[in-house]
Amino acid sequence: MTPRLVFDVAAGLAILFACVMVVHRHPVKSVLALVVSFFALAVTYVLLAAPLIAAVQVIVYAGAILVLFLFVLMLLNVPEEVRQTPDRPIHQALSAGAIVAFAAALLASLRAYGATRAAPSAELPPGDLAPVARLLFSDHFLSFEALSILLLAALVGSFVLARREESP
Amino acid sequence: MSASDVGMLALRVLAPVLVILIVLPMLQWVERRGAGLIQDRPGPNRVGPFGLLQPLADVVKFFMKEDLIPSHADRFLYVLAPGLATFAALTTFAVIPYGATLNIRGNPVPLVGADVSIGILYLFAVTSLSVYGIVLAGWSSNNKFSLIGGIRSSAQIISYELAMTTAAAGVILAAGSFRLTDVVAMQSGSWLSLPYRGWTVVPQLLGFVVFFVSAFAETNRLPFDLPEAEAELVAGYHTEYSAMKFAMFYMAEYINVVVASALMVTLYFGGWSFPGFHPTSLGGVVLSVLIFAVKTAFFVWIFMWVRWTLPRFRYDQLMRLGWKALLPLALLNLFWVAGLVLWNAL
Repeated sequence: MTPRLVFDVAAGLAILFACVMVVHRHPVKSVLALVVSFFALAVTYVLLAAPLIAAVQVIVYAGAILVLFLFVLMLLNVPEEVRQTPDRPIHQALSAGAIVAFAAALLASLRAYGATRAAPSAELPPGDLAPVARLLFSDHFLSFEALSILLLAALVGSFVLARREESP
Repeated sequence: MSASDVGMLALRVLAPVLVILIVLPMLQWVERRGAGLIQDRPGPNRVGPFGLLQPLADVVKFFMKEDLIPSHADRFLYVLAPGLATFAALTTFAVIPYGATLNIRGNPVPLVGADVSIGILYLFAVTSLSVYGIVLAGWSSNNKFSLIGGIRSSAQIISYELAMTTAAAGVILAAGSFRLTDVVAMQSGSWLSLPYRGWTVVPQLLGFVVFFVSAFAETNRLPFDLPEAEAELVAGYHTEYSAMKFAMFYMAEYINVVVASALMVTLYFGGWSFPGFHPTSLGGVVLSVLIFAVKTAFFVWIFMWVRWTLPRFRYDQLMRLGWKALLPLALLNLFWVAGLVLWNAL
């Protein structure tokens, strides 16, 4: 098993399960497909010499956010979606055409990008946090702090919404 | 990579897993005899001397039982869930160093499955995935008790993971590395020097207490075993499971206890190191593995001791403890450690 083969398999799985996530009619299984997709994505990050991003991907997305999704879906017990009979052929044809066009544009731009850029060079020592942290707290300090304040605002907002009924 | 390298790697990775799997049935014996000891009753004492063959009889029983799949269950996920739980539990051990570096014909062989640069992050990534086994078991069983167990488990693990990770961040800060071999190396020096190079538990006692309490919640052990509280939820998420599928949840729980103990030893009690002990010969390396095993066994025993000593928490008490007590304490610990690092005391 060469790394290239592992990469291709992982990337293929990521795309396949992303499709499963969109197509599957059961919300719980959609979330699970997304977990597999994120996990496969983490594998590709490891092979791109970015184990730190891979670990963060699994911890934050697969381990925390999607567990919350699952938690809410289970709590609300969302039922399976009913298949609707297609009665709008023009709409369907149009959306199918749009999907194909978008995929073609994406593929073309990816090919152009791949031709200009070389493969990712391992300039950062793999998994070393220090360069990433230095970048975050120097060059991107303002955006980093702005993002934390944004998250804090969201947190406070959810508290206000949840507590609104108690205070007159 | 030559054949002997591959063989060595396989041995390094598989050895701890095999040891755990062999010791697992014994843990069950220790737990039941320990329960007997604490509750002033004999415990299992009929099969073999001191009931030592009881685990073997239990294993045979698990294999012989009928394997039921409820007709209203989601078949695929129902079968997948116990496998996921055991898989997540077993893969966590891969990055924990369990002995000093061995020298084979001049080649250093570190006794750790994979000495990766993101060791601690890997551990948290895999343990955060372990919740899926329990949640899916609860959901796919299509049973109200199982579902409530699964929901409780996901909420509990997310809440305590936060405190646990923040507590462990103190150790990472002190070591300046995610690599678990670095964490052990940091703790194998002198206790009297400045910067301090002894066991982390001394400067970070607060962090250890937070980590210790969170570990109980993460492994679903009493006093935090609400996902399977038998008084209200029958057996929680594994109510519908029987035979080997039930046994796999059982195994996952014990493996998680061993891993949590090994992790506490590695992060706070020096791993395989011991004050004044610097292994160089083969005998020294064997001794270092033994030291690690004894330390881990001690914490496994504490897990069992606590189970038969403390009553179960109420759910709101559990959430209050996690968010309002442990998380602020873990943050306090982090500031304290940051201060120590800043003044070159660590």
